[in-house]
Amino acid sequence: MHELVAFAPPKEYYMESMQRRALTGVMAVPILLALTAIPEVLSAQRAVPSTYAITNARIVPVSQPPIEKGTIVIRNGLIASVGANVTVPADARLVDGTGLTVYPGFIDSYGSLGIPSAAQGAGGRGGRGGGGAQAATAATGAANSAYPAGLQPEIRAQELLNPDGDSFTAAHGAGFTSALSAQGAGIFQGTSALINLTDGDVNALVVKPDVAQHIGFTPLRNGGYPNSLMGVFSSLRQILLDAQHYRDEQAAYSRNPRGMQRPEADPSLAALQDVIAGKEPVVMFASSQREIERALDLAKEFGLKPIIAGGSEAYTVAARLKAEGVPVLLSANFPRRTAAPSADADPDPIRVLRERVEAPKSPAKLQAAGVRFALQSGGSNSFNDLIPNVRRAIENGLTTEQAIRSLTLQPAEILGVADRLGSIETGKIANLTISRGDLMTTGRITQLFIDGKPVAMPSPAAAAAAGNNAFSASGTWTLSVNVDGADRTATLSIRQEGTRLSGSLQGMLGSAEIQNGSVGADSTFRFTAPVTLKEGTEEATFSGTFENNALKGRLTIVGHAPGIFSGTRPARGGAPPPRTPPAKPSANR
Amino acid sequence: MHRFLSRGALLAACVVVSPVALGMLAPDALIAQAATTTARTGTSGSMLIRNATVLTVTKGTLKNTDILVQNGKITGIGTGLTAPAGTTIIDATGKFVMPGIIDPHSHMMSDAVNEGSLSVTSMVRITDVLNPTAVNVYRALAGGVTSANILHGSANTIGGQNATVKLKYGEEASDMLFPGAPPGIKFALGENVTRKNSNTFVIPGQPTPQKRYPTSRMGQEEVLRDAFTRARDYKATWDDYRSKTAKGDKTLLAPRRDLELEPLVEVLEGKRLVHAHSYRADEMLMLLNLADEFGFKIKTLQHGLEGYKIASEIAKLGAGLSTFADSWSYKIEAYDAIPYNVAILMRHGVVATINSDSDERIRRLNIDAAKLMRYGGLTEDEALRTITINGAIQLGVENKVGSIEVGKDADLGIWNAHPLSVYANVDKTIIDGEVFFDRQKDIAMRAEKEKERAELEQADANKAPGATRRGVITPLPEMPQ
Repeated sequence: MHELVAFAPPKEYYMESMQRRALTGVMAVPILLALTAIPEVLSAQRAVPSTYAITNARIVPVSQPPIEKGTIVIRNGLIASVGANVTVPADARLVDGTGLTVYPGFIDSYGSLGIPSAAQGAGGRGGRGGGGAQAATAATGAANSAYPAGLQPEIRAQELLNPDGDSFTAAHGAGFTSALSAQGAGIFQGTSALINLTDGDVNALVVKPDVAQHIGFTPLRNGGYPNSLMGVFSSLRQILLDAQHYRDEQAAYSRNPRGMQRPEADPSLAALQDVIAGKEPVVMFASSQREIERALDLAKEFGLKPIIAGGSEAYTVAARLKAEGVPVLLSANFPRRTAAPSADADPDPIRVLRERVEAPKSPAKLQAAGVRFALQSGGSNSFNDLIPNVRRAIENGLTTEQAIRSLTLQPAEILGVADRLGSIETGKIANLTISRGDLMTTGRITQLFIDGKPVAMPSPAAAAAAGNNAFSASGTWTLSVNVDGADRTATLSIRQEGTRLSGSLQGMLGSAEIQNGSVGADSTFRFTAPVTLKEGTEEATFSGTFENNALKGRLTIVGHAPGIFSGTRPARGGAPPPRTPPAKPSANR
Repeated sequence: MHRFLSRGALLAACVVVSPVALGMLAPDALIAQAATTTARTGTSGSMLIRNATVLTVTKGTLKNTDILVQNGKITGIGTGLTAPAGTTIIDATGKFVMPGIIDPHSHMMSDAVNEGSLSVTSMVRITDVLNPTAVNVYRALAGGVTSANILHGSANTIGGQNATVKLKYGEEASDMLFPGAPPGIKFALGENVTRKNSNTFVIPGQPTPQKRYPTSRMGQEEVLRDAFTRARDYKATWDDYRSKTAKGDKTLLAPRRDLELEPLVEVLEGKRLVHAHSYRADEMLMLLNLADEFGFKIKTLQHGLEGYKIASEIAKLGAGLSTFADSWSYKIEAYDAIPYNVAILMRHGVVATINSDSDERIRRLNIDAAKLMRYGGLTEDEALRTITINGAIQLGVENKVGSIEVGKDADLGIWNAHPLSVYANVDKTIIDGEVFFDRQKDIAMRAEKEKERAELEQADANKAPGATRRGVITPLPEMPQ
């Protein structure tokens, strides 16, 4: 006898624990208990069902054509069978899938899910990596590393995982059942792990450890070497050269240690051996055309196996990406104007306007060019926008089939886990994203299965709240800058993707793109921009802190007294703020 | 198919106000965006410029003269020249043609300027961070500039490696690198290195940057001496390895490559040009003597505002000097500057140039050169030399650019008046026989770009949330009576 489980549209109680459910007063069908989260106290006492059958559902296996009315049987966390004519085992809990569409669980192929923000630091002062004898090396981060935090490839995401209760709520709301997670700060960021987004033992989440080494091209924010994009490249180059030298030294020593001084052990260089051998892929965050080209050039110089993450302008480099077989983890965090500009803001540069219009077209362009790409959330502050943005990409020419593929099988293939994830096939991990109606047009996600277990869906309100809690610096800020004893106003357009900041600065400091921008978990930020003061153009370093819709900080220019700046932006979707009061110069100038 | 076509759509080019609009940045209303797809003329590198006044700089001024350009090179200068059928003909009657201007000191089109963390950052490379789409490149073209020395900043005693570029706006960064130009490196002395101006102020609530050695001119000399001593040792290690390997020893492991010291070895070997930011006579002399001691030359003293005090010594040690025409007193070490600096240096045989060091001033280097006729009495040709052939010498590319001579690259500016006049505007800027700036096309593009902006503003992604499709906040419905 099957235990029948009605599959009702989600209501608020899907996110509630059993203990609290009595209070909600909406619990009407006791049989629904089976599909809600099983509280730990109960699961310890009761056998948790491990066999499910989803019947009468539209199934999109991705690896083969959709099944208009079919059954999926899940057993012990794996897909036991799938098809139009599948026998439902006697012990299966039935899920009536009428009106539902079942997709392979979505994979967020770039981010830091499950890694506490405190572990995403890029601290440390000074460093080796080309600094040679002059560098002060005071490493923090990985133990016994000769390199400062931010240049430690030996860091492993697997060892940093520590998700708390609602770490995955917003991601679940977007339909993600697994994610590639890396410590996302610094230059050499260490290896990522592919994890399932469920609670339970941290190590049980790991689907594949050490998927790829991650590289970011943002300078260290504490002033130590490298603190510029130039230094980022020279330190990467020096460390990769040192890794090659380390390989040769170790090989020579293991061939014949007699008469050879023992080469020093170096965990950082040891961690790069698979990278320089071209075995372990390197995920490089690069957004603009020239960033992507630089990343590809570096990969070519050292024979690395690159994967581009971010990739806003990847479509402009499509021919090269295709020719070199480089896949892209494309951010679906498409930029758009978030608030009406304030009255004293300069008009957005045409480049920014164009970028906002072009972004949703880029997936279709990559598809047309034959570049392999996955769509990823583009940072923890944009989960709520994922499905709407995927739909925008479809409206702009991406095929529905490719859209689904780019969230499922394509990332699984790029990340080397297509043997266990990414499609609904017998023997694969039972990660499923289920929607009522067609998710690529109007449907909405009602249920997830992760590792064969139903996962409570957050209510739309809870998912939205979890998504909005994450701060994003994106938007148009009005700056007031006091430098060289004069007040100047400027407009700062920021786009945040993960920890990276890009954008433009214009107004009384000239017009330029901002460079080398990053924001830390503690809301401190740093970027550089060429500014024109009187007759000269100088590189200014802006460092400071964000606080909701305000920012403030310090401006340093070589050869000038430091300046200060402050700024505001209109609240998201809100009315423009009043004009910015000028920053007051320091009393002890 | 040109690779730049795909980039054209992305370029945020900007129309340039007249190069003589002194002191003004382009007002925002004029910021139309130029796509180089239309700013350029496809000449395939060949053209015939007819009936111009040609300022050759090295071989005098020629009236009513034609210049024939084939495959990017100047192949003929004379009267009544003919070109193969299909060659672009430019009628330059009443116009002036001068060599493309060379700016020996610029920081434009670079996504980073200073690696200010360490005292020696010879490992960093401007070529890693060039931004070929920087709008200032286009603006510089509008001022007749065709080549520039993109330098690391002045934060460190030994800064990063330079990039000598041709301003082929719209092409890839790698295609803008000046073919065959010798590599260079930035040094810096004086106040910017000691951070005299930036370390002494405390801003409440803001972290104060840490002090960094050296904080005195003595320390700067020691940093140089230490770096070149290490470079000499490093070179010896490699020389030893190479000589043993050459003799057949195959058991040796190659020494560790050190990207900090490799470029300094190239300096010692005379393969890399040193461009040294310096102001005071004493620090310049220190550097020239130290270089002499280690057996290398300083190619240029950059800024060198007190160069006139030691003009003979600079000439004797074979250094060039690149400076401003009339900027001084903007900091303590700039107090002894005089506008006669260039003239005095040139009279003593120093190869002297004017540079911009500014994204804005780079557009009117012709005017800065003209000032030298007023201050110091340079001749027209001498004034022009400071922004053309002398810059080419300082960058080691004098065999290719810097003057209008047969065999040289066709890097030219066509001006509507004598370029040393404040009334002169650039009509066309030509690099390797291709037109990279055309004033008439630029003017035609402005309306197009305004139209594009208006269209983009109407796109949903450029509307603020809460606004309707027309960009108007929806009024509340009327209350029922």
